[in-house]
Amino acid sequence: MDGPAALILACALAAVCWLGLAGAILIRRLSARGRTRSGEHAAIADASAAPRMSSGPSWEAAGTRALLERGLRSGDSDDRIASIGVLGRLASEHEWAVDCLVEGLANWTETPERVAAHLDSLAPRVGERLVPLLGHPDDVVRFYAVRLLGRYRALAGRHVAALTRDSCPNVRAAALETLRETGSSDALRCALQLLDDDHPLVRAHASRTASRISGPAAARFVAPLLSDPSWWVRDAAREALVAAGPDVADMMLPLLDDEDPARRSGAALVLQDVGTIDELARSGDRQEPLERILGAGGERLRAAAAARAESGQSLGGGGSSWVGTAS
Amino acid sequence: MSLEAVLQVLVAACAVYLGLVYASYLWLMAVGLWENRRRVREHTIDDVATVATSRFFPGVSVVVAAYNESAALPSAVRSLLALDYSEFEVIVVNDGSTDETLERLVAAFDLVPVEAAARGVVETERVRGYYRSTLDARLLVIDKDNGGKADALNAGLDHCRFRYVCGVDADTVFARDALSRVMRVVSRDPARIVGLTSFVEIAEDPSRALVDGSSFTIPDSRPLLAYQTIDYLRAFYNNRIAWSRLDFMLCAIGAFQVWRRDLLDDLRGWSRDFTCEDIELTFRVHEVLRRRGRPYHVVCLPDRVGVTEGPDTVRKLVAQRERWQRVILETWWAYRSMCLNRRYGSVGLVGMPFYLLSEIVAPVFELVAVVTLCVGAVFGLVDWRLCVAVTLLITVLNSLFSTGALLMVDLHGQVYRRRGLVRLLLLMPLELFVYRPVMTWARIKGTWRFLRGDRAWHKFERNVRAETP
Repeated sequence: MDGPAALILACALAAVCWLGLAGAILIRRLSARGRTRSGEHAAIADASAAPRMSSGPSWEAAGTRALLERGLRSGDSDDRIASIGVLGRLASEHEWAVDCLVEGLANWTETPERVAAHLDSLAPRVGERLVPLLGHPDDVVRFYAVRLLGRYRALAGRHVAALTRDSCPNVRAAALETLRETGSSDALRCALQLLDDDHPLVRAHASRTASRISGPAAARFVAPLLSDPSWWVRDAAREALVAAGPDVADMMLPLLDDEDPARRSGAALVLQDVGTIDELARSGDRQEPLERILGAGGERLRAAAAARAESGQSLGGGGSSWVGTAS
Repeated sequence: MSLEAVLQVLVAACAVYLGLVYASYLWLMAVGLWENRRRVREHTIDDVATVATSRFFPGVSVVVAAYNESAALPSAVRSLLALDYSEFEVIVVNDGSTDETLERLVAAFDLVPVEAAARGVVETERVRGYYRSTLDARLLVIDKDNGGKADALNAGLDHCRFRYVCGVDADTVFARDALSRVMRVVSRDPARIVGLTSFVEIAEDPSRALVDGSSFTIPDSRPLLAYQTIDYLRAFYNNRIAWSRLDFMLCAIGAFQVWRRDLLDDLRGWSRDFTCEDIELTFRVHEVLRRRGRPYHVVCLPDRVGVTEGPDTVRKLVAQRERWQRVILETWWAYRSMCLNRRYGSVGLVGMPFYLLSEIVAPVFELVAVVTLCVGAVFGLVDWRLCVAVTLLITVLNSLFSTGALLMVDLHGQVYRRRGLVRLLLLMPLELFVYRPVMTWARIKGTWRFLRGDRAWHKFERNVRAETP
């Protein structure tokens, strides 16, 4: 066989493959198996099948539970995630599915965030079952158990404070985050104690918790963190102080003369975000404190304030924070 | 040496080259099909809605670098703020635009000038000012002196609050589930997955291609856009998905790239020393992490996360692709020590040689092959039947690869409307004669400019768009 003939043969083979693939696509579409929107078919089929299955008798059988438990323990991540998904849907009607998820969180923690997401959506049914997990030897389990208890104020108030002394900083931070929701004096005490924790994540959460519970009263404890070595903590402290509202202004003004430039500029930023700068600019009769703030905040802060004043815009008004919680 | 002998050598060289390249493509398509099958399975069992609403998935800082993007940017930012994901922020960096980019943003999102604090992890050009939106607290706009896209992304990185950073282009509109689709994959193996990219569609006007934030009305019916669609499909489904499977994903695209922030901090962000930042960062991630012996994975997903603007004229297309070729050459050359180096595993032994073969020497071989066959046929030194057979074979193989990519899209449940699908299938056989010459010209131009040391961006002029409110 000469060159062109061999090429033509190769060409014919490739053409058969090509036409076969093209045909497969078209047949798929014509047989209505194709979809017109991304993932819609799969998502709908999946979502609609689960409730049907969950009401059927087969789901009550012990074999089903065993199957899903095996899925949770599987070495294949797809099996685990599929089992978690099915259990999450079944859990709305079946207590055993809730138990399976809790057990899954306790024993097989390779994809804990998915289990936690489903357990979170089951509040307030799960709380008591999470309490034993607070003493689990695995940091990851304790972390998720503590965070999940954020939806259960009473339980969190009773059991979580002890976790603020946990050896794992992530657990201590999670405990503070959960305690924030309780608003109790115990929670405030824990937060204030942890403002000088070794780990920046814990200090950041401590500042947020203290500020949330105690408002402007916590400002004098949180303010030193404006010059924390960690950017994360400085940011959290600013955010916490802004969230406490315009009443923190009196606490911030003395910091404008602090030796530490980070503390000076941090205080100026807080005063900007709670609206103090704009209020002073509007009133026009208290130029001295305004100048101190603008001097501490730097040129950009001054320029931004001038631009806002010129356009009649203002910030703050009840200490609206710009930000959520960085995790 | 006679002309005939020279031609014979050239024909033999081209034949070897074609054989190697097409064998590689065939292998990659097979791997791509396998990987796509796995991703389809994952997608079917995973619950994207749970990921979108759960407070247990990591937060993402989305950074948009914008230079003279007044027409496209508001739509892009609007689509980002509408993302279905529990915890994210959007940081837009106006990189010293000379048009009305900033003014339009101020008007569209009711921006207020403020001062903000940077993390101080990376040096950038001077920041002129910050703006916050009174409509959406998650939006921060940084206005800075012009320093290029990498510098703009770095300015955004310096203000990121969350654990993951998603760099996106200002001319791209995103599907609502873009973040939840990718973060569900990241959460499967957060210790190893350090970077991730996903498929981005192409359209003349992205804001019109995405209806209600999730339904796509593409592909564009005009041939130039349709051919670019085919090109993108092949690049993602046949190549990047397979590269990802084989652990040498060498280009996380600038239109949508998710990275772990601690890694970006460690690498001091995107490099300003290269014409384009995305491919260089991906190469650098591989180089550094392989050298350090750290287990990691850079992933490419088949999920369609958004629509980006494709050039609507040949002139603009050539400008874009010429730059891409220069960027590839520049980056490959800078990291050439990885090529065939066992220390870099599949990146050095497969990825780098594949780039060399399929991207760097390709335009030269394409030109040589065309000239050789034409000269040979004219002088009667090459059998004309050989010329026809080679042309036919290349046409059919290209169509086969394109159809393979289309099949993967279809299997992933993201198919085009039936009419669009048939149009794409019909356009494929003509690609070699209509679209390929333009690509070859652009790549030769890019190679020439690289050799001359041209480092300019040559941004293509934006398509004319309908006014957005």
